[in-house]
Amino acid sequence: MSFTIATTLDDALAALAAGARPVAGGTDLVVGARHGKAPLPEHLVAIDRIAELKTVTETADGVSIGALVSHHQIETHPLLTTAYAGLADGSALVGSPATRHIGTLGGNIMNASPAMDTGAPLAVMLAEVELRSVRGTRRVPIEALWSAPGRTGAEPDELCVAVHIPAPDPRANTAYVRLEYRRAMEIAVVGAAAFVALADDGTIAALRVGLTAVAPTIFTGNLLGQVGRSVADAAAAAAALSMEHSTPISDVRASEAYRRHTVGVMARRAVEAAARRAAGETIAIPVNRAIGIGAAS
Amino acid sequence: MTATPTATKPAPRFVRADGPDKVTGSGRYTADLTLTGALAAKFKYADVTHARITKLDVSAARAMPGVFAVLTQADVPSVKFGPFVQDRTLFADGTVRFEGEIIAAVAAVDAATADRAVAAIVVEYSPLPVVNDIEGALAADSPLVHAEWADYGSILVRDRNDASFASIAKGDVEQGLASSHLVVTSRYVADGCHAAPIEPRAVVAQWEGNKVTIWTSTQVPFDARAGVCETLELPNNRVRIIVPHLGGGFGGKCGFHYEAHVAALARVAKRPVRLVFSRREEFVAPDRRREGIVYEFHTGVDADGRIVARKAWLAIDNGAYTADAGFFSQLAAMHALGPYRIPNALAEAHLVYTNHQPSGSVRAPTAPQTCWALESHTDEVARAIGLDPVAFRTLNAVDTGAEGPSGQTYGEIGVQQCIEAAAAGAGYGNPLPDDEAIGVAIGWWPSFSVPSGAYVKIDGDGSGQIITGAQECGTGAVMTLRQLAADELGMDPEDFELVYQDTSVAPYDMGATGSQTLFNNGRAVVAAAGQIAEQLRNLAADRLEASPADIVLADGTASVAGSPDRGVPIAELAGIAAGGELLIGHGSGMPPGPPPTVGSTCVGDLGMSAWVAPQFSCHAVRVKLDRDTGVARVMHVSAAHDSGTIINPIGAQGQVEGAVLMGIGQALTEGTTYDDQGRQRNAALLEYKLQTAADAPPIAVHFVEINTPDAGPRGAKGLAEAPNVATAAAISNALAQLVGAPVRQLPMTAERVWTALTEQAAQS
Amino acid sequence: MSESIHLTVNGVAYPVTVDQGRNLLSVIRTEIGLTGTKEGCDDCECGACMVLLDGQPVNSCSYLAVQAQGRAITTVEGLADGDALNVLQRNLLETGGVQCGFCTPGMLLSATALLDRTPNPSDEEVRIGLSGNLCRCTGYAKIVAAVQLTAAELRNG
Repeated sequence: MSFTIATTLDDALAALAAGARPVAGGTDLVVGARHGKAPLPEHLVAIDRIAELKTVTETADGVSIGALVSHHQIETHPLLTTAYAGLADGSALVGSPATRHIGTLGGNIMNASPAMDTGAPLAVMLAEVELRSVRGTRRVPIEALWSAPGRTGAEPDELCVAVHIPAPDPRANTAYVRLEYRRAMEIAVVGAAAFVALADDGTIAALRVGLTAVAPTIFTGNLLGQVGRSVADAAAAAAALSMEHSTPISDVRASEAYRRHTVGVMARRAVEAAARRAAGETIAIPVNRAIGIGAAS
Repeated sequence: MTATPTATKPAPRFVRADGPDKVTGSGRYTADLTLTGALAAKFKYADVTHARITKLDVSAARAMPGVFAVLTQADVPSVKFGPFVQDRTLFADGTVRFEGEIIAAVAAVDAATADRAVAAIVVEYSPLPVVNDIEGALAADSPLVHAEWADYGSILVRDRNDASFASIAKGDVEQGLASSHLVVTSRYVADGCHAAPIEPRAVVAQWEGNKVTIWTSTQVPFDARAGVCETLELPNNRVRIIVPHLGGGFGGKCGFHYEAHVAALARVAKRPVRLVFSRREEFVAPDRRREGIVYEFHTGVDADGRIVARKAWLAIDNGAYTADAGFFSQLAAMHALGPYRIPNALAEAHLVYTNHQPSGSVRAPTAPQTCWALESHTDEVARAIGLDPVAFRTLNAVDTGAEGPSGQTYGEIGVQQCIEAAAAGAGYGNPLPDDEAIGVAIGWWPSFSVPSGAYVKIDGDGSGQIITGAQECGTGAVMTLRQLAADELGMDPEDFELVYQDTSVAPYDMGATGSQTLFNNGRAVVAAAGQIAEQLRNLAADRLEASPADIVLADGTASVAGSPDRGVPIAELAGIAAGGELLIGHGSGMPPGPPPTVGSTCVGDLGMSAWVAPQFSCHAVRVKLDRDTGVARVMHVSAAHDSGTIINPIGAQGQVEGAVLMGIGQALTEGTTYDDQGRQRNAALLEYKLQTAADAPPIAVHFVEINTPDAGPRGAKGLAEAPNVATAAAISNALAQLVGAPVRQLPMTAERVWTALTEQAAQS
Repeated sequence: MSESIHLTVNGVAYPVTVDQGRNLLSVIRTEIGLTGTKEGCDDCECGACMVLLDGQPVNSCSYLAVQAQGRAITTVEGLADGDALNVLQRNLLETGGVQCGFCTPGMLLSATALLDRTPNPSDEEVRIGLSGNLCRCTGYAKIVAAVQLTAAELRNG
């Protein structure tokens, strides 16, 4: 086994090209190895000290978030908690405070769990993932990145270096909510993110919904049919469509029927919260706690 | 009545003697210990739940380099053990009956080597039919968990899979039900759950000559010693059990667990051996988890809402071995009748073998789930007769001088004050939002009166030591002993150091179980300190030329009553004593005997139908329900308790707060689910969800303090278990209001609540 | 494969030789010999193993020891001011926030990190800040009270 610490992106990419696997916070990797899910890779390169991957940069087109930006950074970042609030909702729900400090956005995305909390909000924002290797750089729409539970379309030598999110219209915003049985230390039973853009008259100008833990990968729907309709109607439609298009499993956390029902509830709440934010209202991060689990908003 | 709210009494500053060790990290727990040359122990578990072993080959494991010992049942004395039914052996003896049954144990140079050796053990099975259903196990044609059940030694009433039958009968229940104005019938099902202390258990054993010292994370060191001596056929005085700091127990670390396996490994390996459990092992292997129970209730009331008759039937999941659950049937029967005035009562309880993990005493065994079922049923009865739930309980609950369901007549008790205080503390009756409701439940729990011993000594410099057999599991009960000794001797608690948790040093105590530490060991310490007080009075009387009867011990000084200037420091008297008769007290005191019962008969009687110094409680819990998802959140808990005199207010509050939160977990998120083979599906902390700091509601604690005769020191009753009894029940009664019907399975998970909501919607 | 590294724990640099797959928790407990950091679940679910890494809370059970090179590791043993308990330790003890003590080290470190970044926390912020540390004894009430008491004392100097 080998372990190297990369301090520059080039070092990290060279190590990947030589067959190493990246480790940032290491939580998923180390826990997974000890629980026999997958042995620790033979060659590891620590990427957590690469400063250039830890920045949040506002660009002309939107925002670029380095792959090593932590969930804690996201949940407290002035720009991300306002214009990209749905992502902050997701990051604020990840694991525990410790997990949020050590866990990175890139790690969350590349782990490709259908239950990840940042995936659905990023997908409804039409985020793109920047993958880099010694061979070059490419951008992949995030929803296309995930191919199966725990699998992405990234090549073994490619490193996720950033996530790029297009700037929302002034009358648009996002929200992410999830079903949880406790108020902390949870994993999404189901979850839903919504991107809502409002027309001047308060009707829907654009609506996308992304769903968590109800299919092998996170997926989104662009609800074109809701354009011009009221938020309430669109939220109801989003709920119905989410239930219809989900293919949830039954497991120890929930039955298929309960997941199907609750993903509709989550979709409706995500649309309602995103619409309120799009209309200029501030809802604290994360929406889950702001509206209170156990309390309809 | 002497009801005193704690709020009016300033809590004395109480700093635990073990506190500095715990906040600095210097305190050592069992897994923190290492001994030179220590080997790592690992177990080979069955993983299948019911099968005959057709082949067991450990030769490859034994041959591995670095492996010092591999043991199976063939390598230890052929002893069947169990406190109520001798139905178990240290290792599987031809048949496995649950997934966590130990097939073999390995000691190797390190954990990785031990793991490889475990993997090299070859076991082949011939499957047997799995008993996975509690009620089904009672059917005449059910497969037997123990085909040889009739050959086992036991003191219980048993039949096939029914490992312990008990009933409590009073009056004529059929006649009572027939003559009732109205009879309500209910069925409830409680899933099993876990103690889940944060410290996984650990054992270290080392032999020197023919004596073994075992450091272990047990709540009951003397019981652990007895288990080692019985199974390895050793005399008590060659086995020494030492408990380092103990990281919580809640009953999960009661009983005898693995000390003998590790000692046997160490003897064969001729090296110290150390076992540390993983969290998964902590969930799956011990014979201590809270039992699942199936309930049926019939309660008849008259037109005014007075209970005329109650009939209860219970099937309790014993799991694969009986462990200490033998008394559960009678205890659960009492809880199924509840702290009510019931002229005609019949409770019948069966403790049923299944191929699940064995049940055992977890914090107030059988009580929280039985209270949940009974009190949910009670609200159904109140609703049916048109009485407010609080009014129904006020009308029917026992009271001072009243006769309980088994014919015990109570002295001064505070159950009615508890109802009043809990309801008031919750704002019961005030308007609430549409998605909130307050549920109320009452509970009870015995104090356990058993023998217990302690020594107290004062050394020549005036510093004291309390040498006690009592076990500290975190509650602070042992810590509070300093206060009792100090008060008896007119000294400061900080004058005393505690020596505890060593079976070769201190006299017997039952351990941190049954909320009994302060009740019984407190009595012992007071008795031991009393002997020293008498010595001090005699010494002081000589010195001060007064009568011993006139000597007062206070503020570290022995002085003549009425003449505070005629005094001598206790430290000085201790110095005198050191030159002559030493200041050594030993005590146990006589435990209060059981109260009589009148008019009831019990089958399978184990002394659980009449309770010494019974404790009472009422919890009123405000719950908020998200009707779209079934997710409930507890917003506020008002907990009122009659546990007699409160000796250590901060510690007592901490017991109530912790037990209430455990009760919230039991109510909403903590329940074991099994696969179709009886294996646990959620043996991990992500899927078995303890409440977090973010979930914990404000908890208002109110003590109804009654100086109870025939109880513990100063009229104190037990405390650690009682506050765990009524919380889940109160939550259930709040949820039933919000749902429109009871949620009939525990835990009342979000999905189960949602299902109940859906069924309600379909009916209306 | 083993590697010789230095780990800096509570301001002291320890030379250790560790297998690259070892987690930080076992190295702190075994090679470095500080057993205040506990193992409760092996799964990032209980917080008993929490340490601070450059002041931030980390579950050391799920962090590679070799990755902690060059970072400042703080364990519970590093909190006291010499022989004197620090204000948080003292308050936790005096409010009754310690029972069995097994969650206490992790709880203290989470609270330390919380008060460092949020000197004036709301009760909700304290509860969320401590939500990664499971306690089975106390119901958390006295722990939250101790953290708030400490925040007030630190604010008032």
